[in-house]
Amino acid sequence: MSEKAGSLPPKISIEEPQMKLKYAVSTAVTAMLVATLLFVSVTRAEAAPRRIEVTAKRFAFTPGEITLKKGEPVVLVLKSIDVAHGIRIKELGVEVKVGKGQSNEVAFTPSKTGTFVAHCSVFCGAGHGTMALTVHVVD
Amino acid sequence: MPQAVFLILGVILIAVPLAMLSGILIAGCKADPPGKAETAALNWAKHKILVHNKSQANPLKDNAAAVADGKEAFSHYCVACHGLDGQNTGVPFADRMSPPVPSLAGNDVQSYTDGQLKWIIDYGIWPSGMPGSKNTLSDEEIWSIVLYLRHLPPAGSLGEPEMYTH
Repeated sequence: MSEKAGSLPPKISIEEPQMKLKYAVSTAVTAMLVATLLFVSVTRAEAAPRRIEVTAKRFAFTPGEITLKKGEPVVLVLKSIDVAHGIRIKELGVEVKVGKGQSNEVAFTPSKTGTFVAHCSVFCGAGHGTMALTVHVVD
Repeated sequence: MPQAVFLILGVILIAVPLAMLSGILIAGCKADPPGKAETAALNWAKHKILVHNKSQANPLKDNAAAVADGKEAFSHYCVACHGLDGQNTGVPFADRMSPPVPSLAGNDVQSYTDGQLKWIIDYGIWPSGMPGSKNTLSDEEIWSIVLYLRHLPPAGSLGEPEMYTH
């Protein structure tokens, strides 16, 4: 009797710490998993903003219209296939210039909604004044 | 003998009048400076009749950034005739055109309204060598040039256009 009675408490005292340990480990693993997922999603959003490519050729941009989201970071890539060109979105304080046959980019986050007409910011010839890019910024 | 007569008559009737006509045309095409009366009459006609768009206001705000934009746009090719300062500094042919290239800081130009200056830059002005720049420059660039014209620097302060210095 005394042996049986004395054998019970040790069994309980061994299992309880094991349970606690398992619980702690599983909680920690779950927390780490959640943290990792959050970290990955955040870093993905920061590391890979949306890229929009625009090609410039006397005297037009292709595409001629782009749509951006307010507050969403974006990289505007300007590629020239002839002479030097540029894009200036005055209302958003954005400008990128590109040399003859080259490519250049600018990263920015649209801060206000609206439709803005960006013009070529590098004089490129007789039709320079008609070279425009319409930029829509939506919520 | 009759052939010689026809040759002489041909020279008299065709070659001589042609030579005279050529002489008149050449002399008439010389880019002589216009007289005072001609200049006054044309200036009056330009300001009152020929140059339109008198009432349109400049949509750009008059600030340092917009004036700097105008100076930049002006440098695209306006400087070839008007100089960097708009006052013909360094332009070798400014006095040899008919009419001569005016100083854009002078009263003849400054007395146009902003809308008229925009119209002149858009469409050019006759009689002069001033070409129209509509579509070659954007509306915004042209309005910024109008702003720059209202804030021209002192004559000679910007030096000569690079194209005339090498």
